[in-house]
Amino acid sequence: MTEEVRSELTAEEIWTVQEGEKRSVGVIHIVILALLIGIGFVVGAFGSISFPLGFGVNFFWTGIVVQQVGPIWFGGWGVLAGAIFPFFSNAIAGTPFYVSLAYIPANAIQAFLPAWFFRKFKLDPRLKSGRDYGFLLLAMIISSALGALYSVLVVLKGFGLLTADSTSLFIWGWFGGNVVAGIVFNFILLKVLSPVVIRTTAFVKRWWS
Amino acid sequence: MNKTLLGYVPEKSLIYAVHPFVKLFFLLVVSLFPMFVSAPDWNIILMLVIVLLMWVSRVNMSTLKIYIPVAISMGTIILISYTVLGGTHPEFELVAKVWGVNIYWERIRDAIIVYFRVLPMIFTMVFFLSTSRERDIIVSMRSVRIPFVVTYITAMALRAAGMVLEDFQIVRQAEQARGFDPVGKSIAYKIRQYVMYMVPLFALSLRRSEEFTNALVARGYAFTGEATKVKRADYILTHYSYKYFDYIFIFLVSVSFIALLVLRYGYGYFSVDQSWLIDLLRNALSVRGG
Repeated sequence: MTEEVRSELTAEEIWTVQEGEKRSVGVIHIVILALLIGIGFVVGAFGSISFPLGFGVNFFWTGIVVQQVGPIWFGGWGVLAGAIFPFFSNAIAGTPFYVSLAYIPANAIQAFLPAWFFRKFKLDPRLKSGRDYGFLLLAMIISSALGALYSVLVVLKGFGLLTADSTSLFIWGWFGGNVVAGIVFNFILLKVLSPVVIRTTAFVKRWWS
Repeated sequence: MNKTLLGYVPEKSLIYAVHPFVKLFFLLVVSLFPMFVSAPDWNIILMLVIVLLMWVSRVNMSTLKIYIPVAISMGTIILISYTVLGGTHPEFELVAKVWGVNIYWERIRDAIIVYFRVLPMIFTMVFFLSTSRERDIIVSMRSVRIPFVVTYITAMALRAAGMVLEDFQIVRQAEQARGFDPVGKSIAYKIRQYVMYMVPLFALSLRRSEEFTNALVARGYAFTGEATKVKRADYILTHYSYKYFDYIFIFLVSVSFIALLVLRYGYGYFSVDQSWLIDLLRNALSVRGG
């Protein structure tokens, strides 16, 4: 298929498996999973060390880009990576082992929602319309809000690390740190790299292939 | 020197006499200790023990400098969130009133307890990372029979992290060669510059994924299907065997944990009321006892 034809793909076509098109889980998806964990490890640790609020919560968490853009492109593999890599990056940045482990559901939600929005509403990962931008922003806000509420109210309160009075600081810290970093990175990365990624065999139309 | 996840440790270090699983077991169990200890005194002792273990293991302590800002900022934020943002509590003992904000003794005490509960957990993690190589993590996972595909992905992820760091350096040098200089610039400028790192980093990683895949396919690797059902000979595990002292360490860590639980819940040890450090602070702040 020529590039000319591929560039005419609509958002609907990007997510639809065409007749005769064979898609299956391959070694490349396992590699993508490992690479996303690797990138997230480095990028997430940078944010965690540079802008710490405490207990793995940051004012500006750069790892969000891997956590949210990865699943949009690579479906379940990206979600898995997005749930796992903060465990490593938080560890390097000095978050206790069990606190990092308990964050996994929050990170999984943050990784899953944007990917689900794009597949459910057939949004264009190349961000061609205002609808694409709007839904991405909405997904970022909802997922970060859910992640913040879970991680602070369930994890940090559960471990007895916060008082009721100080939870709002950490909820806003987690939420703001993710959304601001997401606004800075997610749009640019999707805009610049999606046209290339959707042409690769690694791109995941459904959830796993 | 052996390159660990956090730095370098001499090849002759005693830590390499210990089976990698023992280090993982130490991390998993000792990380739990502070959760059952409220008295900061005991948590400080635990930190000292871990520092001693690092020293015995000949860990280069200068690599730990990156955690100083983290520890300071975390301590400051915990203190502020507990005291300044701690709300109004007439039932608590007032220590001071600063710019209209009530600072209570109970809040200061709780902040200290939490801080010294988190620090030993971080020390345990740092000890593990500063003494473990990528291979140690894989060996410890395989020795507890974690599936091959999981350990292989972990190994690839750790290797990928190293490659991303190298790519990051290359991209940064390329940006600097084009005149980018973040020294003395605003946060906004640095963030903008960071965006310029991210795009090539992602692009490089995507290209690498193709190279990785081709290399794995060429070597006949498969993670699904019939090939995965064949029992594999695990070459790496043949280099590691448990010695008698590995069992002693595992036993000591296990017994310590059980003893901690018995003393905590059976006899009420490790509570705040028994902390001499908290008493000292209470006296220093001239808060009445009780």
